[in-house]
Amino acid sequence: MKKLDRLTVGGLACLAVLVVFALGSLVGAGGDPDAIVGPRLQPPGPGWWLGTDNLGRSVLPRVMEGVGTTLLLSSVAVLVTAAVSATFGIVAGYRGGYLNELVMRLVEVLYSFPAIVLAILVAAVLGPGQTAALASIVLVTIPLMTRLVRAAAVAVSQRDYVTSAVISGARLPRVLGRHVLPNVAGTIAVQGTYALSVGIAVEGGLSFLGFGVQPPQASLGVLIQQGGTYMIAAPWLILGPGVVLVAAILAINVVGDGLRDRLEPRETRSLT
Amino acid sequence: MRLLMWWSGRALSSAATLLGVSVLIFAAVRMMPGGFAETVLGPFATAEQEAELAARYGLDQPVLLQYGHWLAAVGGGDFGVSMISRQPVGAELLARLPITAELTVLAVAASALFGVPLGVLTAVRARPGGGGAAGRLLSGLGVSVPEFVLGSLVVFVFSRHALGLEVGSWVPLTQDPAANLATMVLPAAVLSVFAISVTARTTRDAVMGVLVEPYVTAAVGRGESPWFIVRHHILRNAATPVVTLLGTITAYLLGGALIVEHVFNLPGVGSYIVQAVGRRDYAVVQAGVLLAAAVFIVMNVLIDLLVGVLDPRLGVLAGRRS
Amino acid sequence: MRPIRLACGVTAVMLATACAASTGTTTAPTPDAQESPGYLTVADEKLPAGGTLNLAVHIDSGAATGYDPQLADVATTWQLLSLSYETLVTIGPDFSVQPLLAEKWETPTPTEYVFHLRQGVTFSNGRAMTADDVVGSLKRLLASKSVWRGQLGPVKSVTKDGDSTVKVTLSEPYTPFLAALANVPAAVLPMKEIDDKSVDPATTLLGTGPYVVENHRQDVSWTFKKNAEYWAKEKPAADTLNITIAPEEAARIAALQNGGAAMATLGNVDSSTMLAGAKDVKVVTQATTDFYYLMLNTQAPNSKVADPKVRQAINIALDAQQIADVALGGKGKPTAITPAGLPGACDPAALPSAAKSVDEAKKLLAEAGAQNLSFTLSIFNTEPAPAVAQVIQQNLQQAGVTVKIEQMDEASWAGKVYGKAPAEFDAALSWFAGYADPGMVTKWWNPETAGFNVGFMKPDKELNTLIDAAGEQPAGAERDEALAAVCAKADADAQMIPLVTRPATVAYRTDALSPSLYATEGYGNVLRLVADARVKKSR
Repeated sequence: MKKLDRLTVGGLACLAVLVVFALGSLVGAGGDPDAIVGPRLQPPGPGWWLGTDNLGRSVLPRVMEGVGTTLLLSSVAVLVTAAVSATFGIVAGYRGGYLNELVMRLVEVLYSFPAIVLAILVAAVLGPGQTAALASIVLVTIPLMTRLVRAAAVAVSQRDYVTSAVISGARLPRVLGRHVLPNVAGTIAVQGTYALSVGIAVEGGLSFLGFGVQPPQASLGVLIQQGGTYMIAAPWLILGPGVVLVAAILAINVVGDGLRDRLEPRETRSLT
Repeated sequence: MRLLMWWSGRALSSAATLLGVSVLIFAAVRMMPGGFAETVLGPFATAEQEAELAARYGLDQPVLLQYGHWLAAVGGGDFGVSMISRQPVGAELLARLPITAELTVLAVAASALFGVPLGVLTAVRARPGGGGAAGRLLSGLGVSVPEFVLGSLVVFVFSRHALGLEVGSWVPLTQDPAANLATMVLPAAVLSVFAISVTARTTRDAVMGVLVEPYVTAAVGRGESPWFIVRHHILRNAATPVVTLLGTITAYLLGGALIVEHVFNLPGVGSYIVQAVGRRDYAVVQAGVLLAAAVFIVMNVLIDLLVGVLDPRLGVLAGRRS
Repeated sequence: MRPIRLACGVTAVMLATACAASTGTTTAPTPDAQESPGYLTVADEKLPAGGTLNLAVHIDSGAATGYDPQLADVATTWQLLSLSYETLVTIGPDFSVQPLLAEKWETPTPTEYVFHLRQGVTFSNGRAMTADDVVGSLKRLLASKSVWRGQLGPVKSVTKDGDSTVKVTLSEPYTPFLAALANVPAAVLPMKEIDDKSVDPATTLLGTGPYVVENHRQDVSWTFKKNAEYWAKEKPAADTLNITIAPEEAARIAALQNGGAAMATLGNVDSSTMLAGAKDVKVVTQATTDFYYLMLNTQAPNSKVADPKVRQAINIALDAQQIADVALGGKGKPTAITPAGLPGACDPAALPSAAKSVDEAKKLLAEAGAQNLSFTLSIFNTEPAPAVAQVIQQNLQQAGVTVKIEQMDEASWAGKVYGKAPAEFDAALSWFAGYADPGMVTKWWNPETAGFNVGFMKPDKELNTLIDAAGEQPAGAERDEALAAVCAKADADAQMIPLVTRPATVAYRTDALSPSLYATEGYGNVLRLVADARVKKSR
């Protein structure tokens, strides 16, 4: 097995650290993220290691909670996207014909909406909150992934091993599950990591515009939006979440690049 | 003949997509909680006022009929009237489009000017097999900083230290081109960071793909100069994905760079749509989204056309796009 | 390990930026000193008039009723319309009623008001204002669906007496009458043009005010030009007024710092701290009589707060002082339903709920069988409402009440709160403008006057009687007592619980502008004295 390059390993390590950090808030490390613990807008100090926000809450547990919210929300959304895209992409790519045409038209319709506009519309219809953020990320990431999975499935279904499986009388679910899916899994994994970074950005953007998770719950987008207004008076409010957000997206992208180099066969790789 | 068939099919499927968009946006707007009447008339409105307003905008008719009327009007070039400003939506969109277009042109120009050379340079200088970690990390950073983070940072820094550039206000191009540019450079720069990084990455990937082709090896063997090889063999053959990407970026930005418009308070198409969603200004949301989608779809057709011209093997006849 | 080093480098740069940003910002904001009694600042009249004044505000007027001042129902709209429209009387510093289009007035009996109109007043189309315009405007208002009709009180008749005198007769004495006349919905409209249909007030601004609209792009900008016909010869000082609509706070702060705007309204309660280091920028906080209040829906089929004991427990557990200190950064004050700061308003500390402890709240909840009370609080996402809601949540947690916050855009919020009767929400947060008479806003506690409350509030006969009684009392000790009775009754009813006053923050460039600003404002109108402002320089 080819070894993962150092950059990819670094990205994975960075993600692991973030996950541990987020898990810490589940066991109550850092304190209650919603409790008012001290004076407002205090710089970092004992009792509030990352300072306090405009409501006198300790920033550290809020950043921990925020990382957790954002990562969990985006991961769940991307899993949903992967499941939906894999199903429709593989079936459409393998079967072709009208089914293919229908799936591609639907995907095309979604793809034609500017991403953040789509997210805002979803939030407006469902009402802001976790559900809306989840649905937005799924709808924004589905089109690209479905298209690429379908393209990969088209390429794979012309291979000899698929043809021979069909000739030897394998039934459709078996062909798709045993022969096509494993060979497009690389594409799904790679696109999944990119979708994850898109998801984090969409969640952040939605929260930034005020359509995201509900207070007092923290997410990275919410924290950055609030921190942004206090950039002069209390830079520690944006520094923590900002660095963590960029680090998370960067790490995911780096891991995605590494995965692509390893997993994705050249002939199924997309050009763009 | 096959070409003609392909194009008519393409036009037909584009039209179908646009129709799908129109259905979806129309349905979405009507599914939003908080009706137009409460929003537009405010909490103090009476039932009669609400009925009067509904009648004025035809909102008391069955939804399917409303959709039919709207589609027919849009087909005739009439985007309806804003419920808030009582002005025609089409005229307002037309007034806002130049701002969005200017942002797009600046950002895409920057991507082509900086992203492409950067990508070629990193690809040509990369050791075979090695990845050029610094380059990867840097371009990775470029695509990883969300617009709202970078935008907030830029607004903050430049509101203290103007350096001849402006944030927080906007001057029409027709009024004072120099002042207009001063207000547009920063938002365009924020958009460019992502666009340049993506362009550089794609260019690098494409060029590295071409570098291993036999004709490049042959050219090196013939002793052609590196610059000649880059220009004649590499750029020509790596152009397709890069052109496709630049086209996609253009289409995406024309649809409304709304976070940047929001942060920098630019009256573009994107901020118009966001404000209209908040106000439940149905005609504006519908027209804005439909316009953005139409631009996106038309741009994609243009990309296919361009790619076909650049590289006939990949273009239209190969049916690269479903 | 090159990548790691690079990552460290990037982090270091960001840290350095942040540190550079934090230097020199630790200076505490100085309390707003008043230049002359009742004013935060007074325009320097020695400066020459003329020039262009650039302003930035956070929200545009926007209603389907258009520009019609009689139907305008929110303060942000009044503010813009007040540049072109004027009322018979106006509000002076410290909430005193001052002459405007009426030069003087008499009250021969407690139910009669005789207004002597100012001479030489013309509409911006050049036509002179007549007594018919005044009578017609008031009659049109009384016949309209305007919410302000309820504030005008028991008007029996409006008649003219000669060309320059207008007489209003009330059926009962009504103390807030003049204060109600001082707001934009009671403006004098060009009734001749409106009656002959040559002017539609929904689409055209045609008033007697200091400025005339030259251009308006919805949600983008307004341009006003000086009204050449304006009756006060030395006003307005600035020739042109450009108002930019900038919803994003950072954009307004930026425009202020780089000179793009000479004055801006700010929403963040910490603006003065954030602009502390900015050169030539002065931040002032105008006290207002507007206040936040909590709505508890008793009309929903399964209302959790239908029992008065539950509502009283919530009222007791709320810590208005903490809301003011934490959510509003100390810029607001606790208030009863008569806005704190108005002469004659009752003392919030003397309310029955203020004297009780959290334990008593818990006891009340236990008596009502609602120990594990949990409800949803619906709020709009405009700051500082989310901050207020989060402190409310922390307050009620002390009494064992769980609050789930549901934050939405203002459109969805209005739909949820006012869209249906009976309304479906559990609890909601909003604010009222407090006006200039302590009795005015109490009228909104009577759902029969304030129809918008019917969906979630049950009329309380006793409270309504007390509100009307306080309205009839002439100002003085007896009225103060009557108002105190209203406050106590509303405190016990607790369907709408008053919380804290809402501060207004304004910032301006001292090198570009010499403005006038009242220290207190009752109608949410930061632009009230903009016609006095002297422009020092403009771009």
